[in-house]
Amino acid sequence: MALVKASGQIQQPQATPESRDLASLLADLTAAEPSVRRAAARGLAAYPEAAMAACDRLEVEGSPSVQAVLFTTLIHLQSPAVAGRLAALLRSDDAPLRNAAIEALQEMPDALAPHFRDLLNDDDSDVRIFAVNILGALRHAKAPEWLGGVVRDDPHVNVCAAAVDALAEMGGPEALEDLDALRHRFQGNVFMEFAIDAAMRRIRGE
Amino acid sequence: MAINSTRSKDPAPAMGDEEYAKFCEFFYRKTGIHFQEGKKYYVDRRIAERIQKTGAESFRDYFTMVRFQASGEELQFLVNSMTVNETYFFREDYQFDALVRGILPAVTRTKTRGEAVRIWSIPCSSGEEPYSIAINILERWDQADAWNIEISASDIDSKILHAARTGLFGERSLSRVSAQLRSKYFTPRLNGDFQICDELRESIDFSLVNVIDPLHTHRFRNIDVIFCRNLLIYFDDVGRRDVIGMFFEALRPGGYICLGHSESMSRMSSLFLPKKFGETIVYQKPLSAE
Repeated sequence: MALVKASGQIQQPQATPESRDLASLLADLTAAEPSVRRAAARGLAAYPEAAMAACDRLEVEGSPSVQAVLFTTLIHLQSPAVAGRLAALLRSDDAPLRNAAIEALQEMPDALAPHFRDLLNDDDSDVRIFAVNILGALRHAKAPEWLGGVVRDDPHVNVCAAAVDALAEMGGPEALEDLDALRHRFQGNVFMEFAIDAAMRRIRGE
Repeated sequence: MAINSTRSKDPAPAMGDEEYAKFCEFFYRKTGIHFQEGKKYYVDRRIAERIQKTGAESFRDYFTMVRFQASGEELQFLVNSMTVNETYFFREDYQFDALVRGILPAVTRTKTRGEAVRIWSIPCSSGEEPYSIAINILERWDQADAWNIEISASDIDSKILHAARTGLFGERSLSRVSAQLRSKYFTPRLNGDFQICDELRESIDFSLVNVIDPLHTHRFRNIDVIFCRNLLIYFDDVGRRDVIGMFFEALRPGGYICLGHSESMSRMSSLFLPKKFGETIVYQKPLSAE
């Protein structure tokens, strides 16, 4: 028989890092071993006061697996302050880190809400596109309204195109007028015409 | 483990909307299982049953007992009542094909003889999945005798774990098991059930595990293959991230996760590599993972 019973082979239960005190967890955030840093990052989820320390670590952490745990911990500890720190990562040149920040921000709609005005008015059109991408998957009652504002006012074609895509997914009949008006702002742009038509058809259920 | 959606005739609701929200928040915190608004009837009915069985006078009394009972016994009864365990042998068997044809050969290429091959089935329900894994390995993997293979099987439901350890199965559960395999691995009982052979029952390590409790999961390390099928659909996004993070710790570098056919890792984590084996996609912890 090739099967052998696992009991005794696998480690027995022991005290977990999650039960440790805050000081030792913070110390372990800079340990050499990624597994130690992951355990520390996971343990910090029990300490709301450690949120900024987790944000600090995220900005310098090089291991994707530790970053992933830090993001999950920050979702647990979400607050407007945390959302603000994560929103700053939308400017990062590190695409995986930026994408992970987008996914984490999508999990904290209320914490992120106070930041949307600034994000949607950012000078950098890429940041505005990322903000629209977040809105497109955000479980927040005002998300369609904010997207409508982008369609009405944003001067950049790619930002508006991202908003049209998002409205196609989550927009209601109230978005139709804004979408139709957008044609005139980017007249002659074949892609925009196509995207607007597709979004309007989808909203109408055609 | 799965959440039942079957309806039947029922007494008056046990909870108001506010109480339902409070209960769901508590149950989520304890188990990671997320009940949406549409499950209120299902949850309410089971709580009404538990209120009746415990003699509690109201939902409020019952909820106080569940929250503060030192032994946690009533919470376990409640967990058992909220989960159902409808499964059968060789379910989604294309993943067992992948296991014996692709995953195990790949896993053992990176091992030396004498090292154990470790497989974890969670949730294991009444045992059909871990026993199916065992039978597939013994019957279809030509290297089976060359390796020590450890199969661990866990579930949050203590009652169903007892059933898994007992290993009695009815006709419906065995519908995909051939007569040849039945005669080889099962013994017919007088009531028409079949009991799986002692060698298999005694070779699988069954344990009570709540996937969001680190005290339960911390001992699972250096696992080569995790079967976690149709569990994460009951969790919300952050709960899924927590569980996937736990699996990352449990797996050895190069290890694999098999999810249910409707589940995908892509929305939960970017740390795993999708790998196609035959008709299924499984997810590998990179060999280079630190």
